[in-house]
Parts: sequence; structure tokens; C-alpha cells
Amino acid sequence: MQRMIQFDQVTKRYPGGNEALKNLSFTIDTGEMAFLAGHSGAGKSTLLKLVAGIERASSGSVIVSGQNLSKLRSSQIPYVRQHIGMVFQDHKLLFDRSVFDNVMLPLDIIGFDRRDAARRVRAALDKVGLLAKEKSMPIRLSGGEQQRLCIARAVVHRPSLLLADEPSANLDRAYALDIMELFKSFHQVGVTVVISAHDETLMEDYGRRIIRLKEGQFAA
Amino acid sequence: MKHFLYLNWQSARQALVKILRQPFGSLLTLLMLSIALALPLSLYLTVSSIQEWAGRLTATPQITLFMEQSAEEADLAAVSSTLTKHPRIQSYSFVGKKQALSDLEKRNGLPGLSDGLTDNPLPDAFVVTPKTLEPHELEMLQKELSGLPMVETAQFDARWAKRLYGMVEMGRQLTWFLGAALGIALVLVTHNAVRMQILARRDEIEVAKLIGAPDSFIRRPFMYHAMWQGLLAGLAAWGLTSWLVMTANPAIHEFAQLYNEAVQLRGLSPVELLVVLAISSLLAMLGARLASDHHLRQIQPR
Repeated sequence: MQRMIQFDQVTKRYPGGNEALKNLSFTIDTGEMAFLAGHSGAGKSTLLKLVAGIERASSGSVIVSGQNLSKLRSSQIPYVRQHIGMVFQDHKLLFDRSVFDNVMLPLDIIGFDRRDAARRVRAALDKVGLLAKEKSMPIRLSGGEQQRLCIARAVVHRPSLLLADEPSANLDRAYALDIMELFKSFHQVGVTVVISAHDETLMEDYGRRIIRLKEGQFAA
Repeated sequence: MKHFLYLNWQSARQALVKILRQPFGSLLTLLMLSIALALPLSLYLTVSSIQEWAGRLTATPQITLFMEQSAEEADLAAVSSTLTKHPRIQSYSFVGKKQALSDLEKRNGLPGLSDGLTDNPLPDAFVVTPKTLEPHELEMLQKELSGLPMVETAQFDARWAKRLYGMVEMGRQLTWFLGAALGIALVLVTHNAVRMQILARRDEIEVAKLIGAPDSFIRRPFMYHAMWQGLLAGLAAWGLTSWLVMTANPAIHEFAQLYNEAVQLRGLSPVELLVVLAISSLLAMLGARLASDHHLRQIQPR
């Protein structure tokens, strides 16, 4: 099995001396679906940021689909990110443009043919159940809809790796389960999926690997 | 490649639409830029108009060589052959003693003047037209010619041309100085405008970076915005100077008529206009590039 993510003795120290991750080593295989669990401040977000190249490891190496991120120049990092889909806890939507245009952004960045792009945007919106609202502005969507819009944007360019940081944090249980099902369907078509959450009860139903973190280390 | 061009075209179009949609927001910057361009441009046009006129005046600065009274045919032939071979002399003419005297009689209406003279007091003379117009070289030539055997003096007719040349030269240097200073101002103004835009669109830039936008993608709309602004400012500056030329010309013409001169302020030639537009948009893009390089680095993630 090929490895999608490989951490070798990774330590992340933030300016000010706070160690978010301490000497962490693990791998996630290509096509795997894994959960990251732990209280807030345990290092879940930092771990995901290291995978996406948003932060850099203080020591150790982070290898994502064969690329050693510690050795890449910062001008090369964006191209790594183009193969990753990211779902943010705070959605990070752009409120000055329509639902459709929000999902279009990753394809614009990659440089997709405009007509094919529109088809793909609609397919992604259909997948998350927002096709009817493609012309709406994101501000008019509910919290759950905004989260699903964020997911549509994360998968529209068909990334091989999907990272979700607390995707169900502010949602009620029924909505959260919906979203988990959505992630499971991406996993079923071969996408490697890593989801972080502080609520473990959601994960246990899926019988997938759970990586538990506590203060930057594996929890016993 | 096709897509790259399409993306650029798209950015260019969107940037222009953005400027046109908020004409008042862009107007202030545009006005600043066009005035910064119009100042050195009008000075440039003034100086080059004067230069053109002065060029017509001093097109034939002449050096007159007066020979010694005792000069003989052989001496004249020697000087004549030196002048013929000289690399910096375009042409010369010989005015002999007798001809000079008869010219004098005719011109001053004094027929019979020579009758009262036992000897012709006028010397033989050569009127030399040099190839150069540059005062320093003219002076060198004058010195050299006055050192020829049997030449008494070499007189430079258009000494005042030197002063005019000096003034024009000063004006030209002032133009370059103003042009450079206001070119820098243009860079700084666009730098500031783009900086404000980047700060205003911080969220958008952050999101774009998070989902994998390289700096070139983020920079592109700002670069095109600056390009259009530079181009429009160049056009506006052209309009301003054309207006200046049109309104000033009748007065200048009238003034010059008093001295029997035809002086006219000229407008920008099409080539000059293209150069101005190219320079102003390039300088604006330079400002945008500097601003984005500096400020994009400050927005997380890096």
C-alpha cells in the first residue's frame, strides 16, 4: 500500500515556545479514511496544517504523496495544495460572490477550461445538495449549508487527499451525520480522507482508524 | 498556453470593468497620475519646440576667416586646400578683396567709395560652414582655423547661439530630472493604491492561498489594474498636454510674429504617445509588483 501521509519524528514549536506537536511519527495510506481525535489544543489543527503546508515542521519530515514538504521552497507549496481539498471549521467562504463562484475558485486557480469547469462546479454542488442555490450568496445559507458549500469547494478539483478540520463542530447531530456520510462517499471513490473532531461518538460508528492526540502526542 | 492567455485576458477585462464601475474611486489616483505625467511632458514639448526652432536658426553657424593683407595667391590656395580636406567642414566659400569691396559699395549705397581709396583696405576672406552645431566643437574649430598660416582672425558669427544652446540643454536636463522624479512618484502612487487594494481584499487572498493559489495568480488582477491605470493616466496626460498646446499656440504665434519668427508648440507624435503610454503602464505595473511582493508575504499562509 502506498503512503499518502508520512510523519517522521515531527515536532512543531510555535514562536513563543509552545510545542503543538512533539516528536510525532505515523503514516496514513493512500485511500485510507482516518479520524483525528482529541480535545481542542491537542494538536489536531496543527497536524492538518502541516500536511497542507500551511505551517512548517520545526524538526522532522512531513511527506505528502511522496513530496517532502520540509524540503520544498515556499513558492512550490501552492502546487502541493492544489492536490489537497480542505474543509475548514470556519468555512472560509468568500461572501462577495455567489455560491457558484465560490466553488469555481479552485478551478480558476488550477486553470481549468471554463466550460468544463462550470460542469464540474454543478456536479460538486449537486453532490452536496446545493445545486438549487448556485446563484445565492453564501451569507443567505444556513450553517450546515455553508459547511456543505465548503466541502463542494474542497472536492471540485477532485483532490486525492481531503482534509477536514472539525467539519461537524457547530452542527447538530443529524446534520453532522449527513456530512460524515458525504466524506464516506468520497472515500469510497478512492480519496484519502482525514477528519478531525473532538466528538468521538461520531467516529466510532464508522470503524475506521482513530488517531488520538493529547498535548501534541499520541494519547494512550 | 491557450488557457494561460485566456486567464490573462480574463483578468485584464475584469480589472478594466472594476475601474470603470467605480470611476470616482479610481478618479483621484488617475488624476494624480496624469498630472504627474503631464508636467514633464509639457516641459518636454516646450523644450523640443524651442530646439526645433533654434535648430532652424543656427543651422548655418558660420566661421569667417580673414586673411592677412599680405597674403598671396599661394597662401590662399594653401588655406583653400586645408579647408577642402578638413573632416569637420561641410563647405566654404571664398570672398576676395575686390568682391568684398564691391559688395560693400552695393549694400551701403556708396558707389565710388573705392575711388577715394588708394588701396583696398578689405582682406580676402573664407566663409566656412562647419558640420557640427555643438558650441564646444565650434570653438575648437575656430581656434584651429585661426592658427592657419596667414590667417589673421577667425570670427565665429553666432556666439549667441551658444547661449541659446545652453538654455535648451538646461531645459532638456530639467525635463529628464522632472521626468525621473515624477516617474518615481508614479511608481509610489500605484504602489500605495495596490497596497490599499491588497489590504481591502485580505480575506479573499487568504482563502485563495489556502486552496493553492500561487503568488502569480493572486498578483495578476493587481498587475492588470495597475496597467490599465497607467494606460488611462498616460492618455489623460496626453489630453492635458494637447489642450495646453492648443490653447497656448495662438498666443505664442502672436508673440513670435512680433520678431518675425514662426514658433509653434508641437504636440506628441504618435510614436512618442506610444512610448509615453508604454512607460506609464510599465511604471504603474512596477509599483504594483513591488507592493504585491511586499504585502502578499505578510498575509498568512505564506
